[in-house]
Amino acid sequence: MKYMIMMFGGLGATLETRTPEWITSMHEFMLKLDGELKEAGEVVASHGLVDPSRAKTVRFQNGVPVPTDGPFAEVKESLAGYWIVEVSEDRAIEIASQVVAFIEYPMEVRRIMDEPTAPEL
Amino acid sequence: MNAEHRIEDLLRELAPQVLGTLVRRHGQFAACEDAVQEALLAAALQWPTEGVPDRPRSWLLTVASRSLVDEWRSESARRRREETMAALEPAADQEDANHGPADQDDTLALLFLCCHPALSPPSQLALTLRAVGGLTTTEIAAAFLVPEATMAQRISRAKQRIRSAGARFELPPKPAERLGVVLHVLYLIFNEGYTASSGPTLHRVDLTAEAIRLARLLHRLRPREGEVAGLLALMLLTDARRAARTDAAGSIVPLAEQRRELWDAAGIAEGVALVTRTLGTVPVGPYQLQAAIAAVHDEAPTAEETDWPQILALYEVLGQVAPGPLVTLSQAVALAMVHGPKAGLALLGTLDADERMAHTHRLESVRAHLLERAGDTVAARESYLRAARMTASVPEQRYLALRAARLHHLAAPADPAC
Repeated sequence: MKYMIMMFGGLGATLETRTPEWITSMHEFMLKLDGELKEAGEVVASHGLVDPSRAKTVRFQNGVPVPTDGPFAEVKESLAGYWIVEVSEDRAIEIASQVVAFIEYPMEVRRIMDEPTAPEL
Repeated sequence: MNAEHRIEDLLRELAPQVLGTLVRRHGQFAACEDAVQEALLAAALQWPTEGVPDRPRSWLLTVASRSLVDEWRSESARRRREETMAALEPAADQEDANHGPADQDDTLALLFLCCHPALSPPSQLALTLRAVGGLTTTEIAAAFLVPEATMAQRISRAKQRIRSAGARFELPPKPAERLGVVLHVLYLIFNEGYTASSGPTLHRVDLTAEAIRLARLLHRLRPREGEVAGLLALMLLTDARRAARTDAAGSIVPLAEQRRELWDAAGIAEGVALVTRTLGTVPVGPYQLQAAIAAVHDEAPTAEETDWPQILALYEVLGQVAPGPLVTLSQAVALAMVHGPKAGLALLGTLDADERMAHTHRLESVRAHLLERAGDTVAARESYLRAARMTASVPEQRYLALRAARLHHLAAPADPAC
């Protein structure tokens, strides 16, 4: 089964008040985890997003789509990055727990819907 | 270098020549390009075990021609096929004989075709890497971190676009203008590899190496074009610092803090020689000037010994030849080194309203450094954080966040990573 593990918040929320040592060790931790997941063949995709302050939101207003600056949700609730892993739910939760233990911010684990199966030929 | 690498290098050198010959004979760039890819694949499978044929170029041309004919046959273009068959067979045999100027023009015409102005830059990059660089779609997709299916589609659409734009396989009527586009595409390929505009790693070595290889090829074809030499020199002089540009943890090391003994002396020597030979003999252009600036940096034994007045003078010329916000930005850095951070900050101020700077973190990043040098730590920290929020590069973001954190925690012990 595939799960998406989502991380939220922007740079401001996660890094602004941290010490240089914390930032460095956080980076090392993420790099190590990423390497382990790739090594184990568990990761399907992983991407970080730029800071939510750089987002544009397109809303339907007065019958037309209108783009505005900024993210859809509060910055701290805005998607910051994700892994897609192909593992059991327990394992996905375990991975998320490792990260949460370090960054102390919540993460969301959600199953990805199955691809429609190819039609029989 | 092992046998497999030698074969790979040979194949990629021959790829544009074979494709050029096919397109010159038959037109139909898209079909010929597919055929050459098939021939390259066949060679990559057969040559390592069966040995490289005596005339590898003829071999590729024959296999590609055959595959082209098969394609036409399956498209049931009967009449056309018969005509083409007649034209194909004898020609494939005499190919090694005319390995001369026609070939070179073919490769150049291919470059012009792949960098056709009707294509978007990502398509120009992809098509150039495939048709001229001889890379497979899989390799190009990996280099740009996109799914293979996406890259395959991008390349196929690019080929359709070339056809519908009525582009022809020939040297364009205004080659100088189009050469500018080709140089820009090579520059983008290099930059994509060097700074990795997105993604976790700072260097994607394959793309820088490929850009340098293609620039060398172009320089061989057009040795008297100053800007071609300038671009090649710029790439060599920039790439020479690669080993020093990141530390063991993959973090960015700014130029002033780099361990210069890690710089590649051979690359610097080649770049300096190239730019010295070119400057003054031809009309000066932006790539030559940037190469000259890179050469001044690379020739300084230590950061302190950098000849900043000369760099500032070169930026002033560059600002006249090719004015733009990024030139002003670099000029501000040089100005700060010669006349102090306040002078640099004042010049940066002229960029605040510039729309073209709205999407890059570089203005804020430079401002942060100059503010820090001017002793305004509070404003510097804010600038670093703003820059960190704007960048799309993970290593850049970490570097900027670290600089900000260091100013915030000045009382804390020195950070071992910096």
